[in-house]
Amino acid sequence: MTIPFNNNRLLQLLFVVFISFSSVLAQDTNVVIDSIAVQKGEQIFKANCTACHVMGDKKLIGPGLLGVTDRRTKEWLKKWINSSSDFIASGDADAIAIYEEYNKVAMPSYYFEDTDYEAVYAYLQNPPLPKVIADAGDLLVSEDEGLNISTQLMFIALFLLLLVYVLTSLKNKLKDSLAQDTETITQTLVNQFNLFISNNRNIVFVAFACFIVVVKFGYDSLSSVGIYTKYQPEQPIAFSHKVHAGENGVDCNYCHSSARKSKHSGIPSANVCMNCHTYINEGTITGTTEISKIYEAVGFDPDSRTYISGYEQKPIKWVRIHNLPDLAYFNHSQHVVAGKVECKTCHGPIEEMDVVYQHAELTMGWCIECHRTTEVAMEGNEYYTELHEQLKEKYKGQKITVDKIGGIECGKCHY
Amino acid sequence: MINRVILFFAFILIVSSCSNPGPGYEFMPNMYRSPSLETYGQNSVFEDSSNARLPVKGTIARNYLSTFYYEGSLQGYLEAGENAVNPFLNDEVNIEEGKKLYSMFCQHCHGEFGAGGGSITHPVYSAIPHYNDSKMLRRANVPMNQLTSGHIFHALTYGLNAMGPHSSQLSEEERWKITIYVQELQKYNAE
Repeated sequence: MTIPFNNNRLLQLLFVVFISFSSVLAQDTNVVIDSIAVQKGEQIFKANCTACHVMGDKKLIGPGLLGVTDRRTKEWLKKWINSSSDFIASGDADAIAIYEEYNKVAMPSYYFEDTDYEAVYAYLQNPPLPKVIADAGDLLVSEDEGLNISTQLMFIALFLLLLVYVLTSLKNKLKDSLAQDTETITQTLVNQFNLFISNNRNIVFVAFACFIVVVKFGYDSLSSVGIYTKYQPEQPIAFSHKVHAGENGVDCNYCHSSARKSKHSGIPSANVCMNCHTYINEGTITGTTEISKIYEAVGFDPDSRTYISGYEQKPIKWVRIHNLPDLAYFNHSQHVVAGKVECKTCHGPIEEMDVVYQHAELTMGWCIECHRTTEVAMEGNEYYTELHEQLKEKYKGQKITVDKIGGIECGKCHY
Repeated sequence: MINRVILFFAFILIVSSCSNPGPGYEFMPNMYRSPSLETYGQNSVFEDSSNARLPVKGTIARNYLSTFYYEGSLQGYLEAGENAVNPFLNDEVNIEEGKKLYSMFCQHCHGEFGAGGGSITHPVYSAIPHYNDSKMLRRANVPMNQLTSGHIFHALTYGLNAMGPHSSQLSEEERWKITIYVQELQKYNAE
């Protein structure tokens, strides 16, 4: 048997395959080495640099470091990192320019081993790909999925009315084809209506339905006088409690710090927002639009991260949701500190609300109900130990609820 | 029968189109909106119409005379670290208080044990230094686990790096108590 192609060509082919394969191998090993160095560099970067730098374009305390390896040489960066103050003193023009740009704050010195420096440099050269932030439009659509029941019913009703229209016109078409008399939709409706009211039982049915609706409306509107439950006004800044208290787990007291100390659970002043938002300039839902409203109020320039001097600060006009009439007295600190009542007992699942609504009725019946059923918090309330001992003595074995310490006396809330 | 069904849905169409976005009706509104000024309300007396006023400059609230005189600069930070004394005892009650306050005001960034890993995951706050870190800090010339109460109190009061100042949310007493608890966490070994 003969081989159908000559040996020379086979050799050439093998050679080509070998070359391409080996070059693939070589590339692969390069990548492997890089990724280990990059990983190590990332660790070092996160441990030492992220307090002042981000891997992006934005300034934090120092400049953003995305693409810094294109702007500066490896040696320049090494000198700067090892001792920026010595480097500035040596008279390097770029170093001095940076120093001046950042209000004459020199970067602290970092003495990295050579291998560590190589790793950091590798990381700076190969920054992680930026995360793709979901389009705002997508998020809005996903929010709309939760249509409320009344809107759904409305759609069903509209659909059925449409069905009536379609069926009537179909009927006309059929009659037309049979050469019978056709009637317009209005005529059909009028005829059907006349037929409908000619039956006394139908009239009773309609009257009864009307009566039910009127009574229900009347009862609802009268019993909701002065009750703000579910009141959900639009706020000047679309602040989401779901993001802050829910996803990020910030304690209620962090912002509403006066709930422990005063009658009011205060609305945080904008400087509390700025504790984090000096550096966090972009939100997950609304991007920069809502956060820049804080900057607008306090006069902060997020690009240079400085407050604009002489800026006339404007208050943020939040819309009040919870409001008690003046005839009732309520004190937050009393309930939060001495009573140890959790915020969500009255304010509901705040950590799930994008827009806050009033959860509780805030009626007198609602107050009294809670005072009658809630037991006095005796644990960790050493200040009141003496009183608590007396109460235990007096109500042997009984549940000691808030009404037993005067929680339903008129003068406690109305004076 | 079909007519009744149609009528029923027409009803629902009318009824469901009435939504209630507002706060509802009030009987005798002046009990809700009183002539006396309410917190965060508006008035016609002041030029900026805000009911929330700043205290007169230089006002010292009763029982709130400060014992901390250091400025919010690097110089002040170093001086405070060297000289400031915590007026509160390092006892069980204060540690417990400090722990409670720490959980409200610090934990979401610094983590339960001061070793980072709090619930906030934003990249800026992803590299929180450990309280018991023994790496030398250039700023204070001591490692994290040897920062004095003065350093910690200064950082809480004026802020440091990406951390903002917390003096408006916490009284001096509360800040000293947190300092006590943070110093406990400096001894905590994460491993």
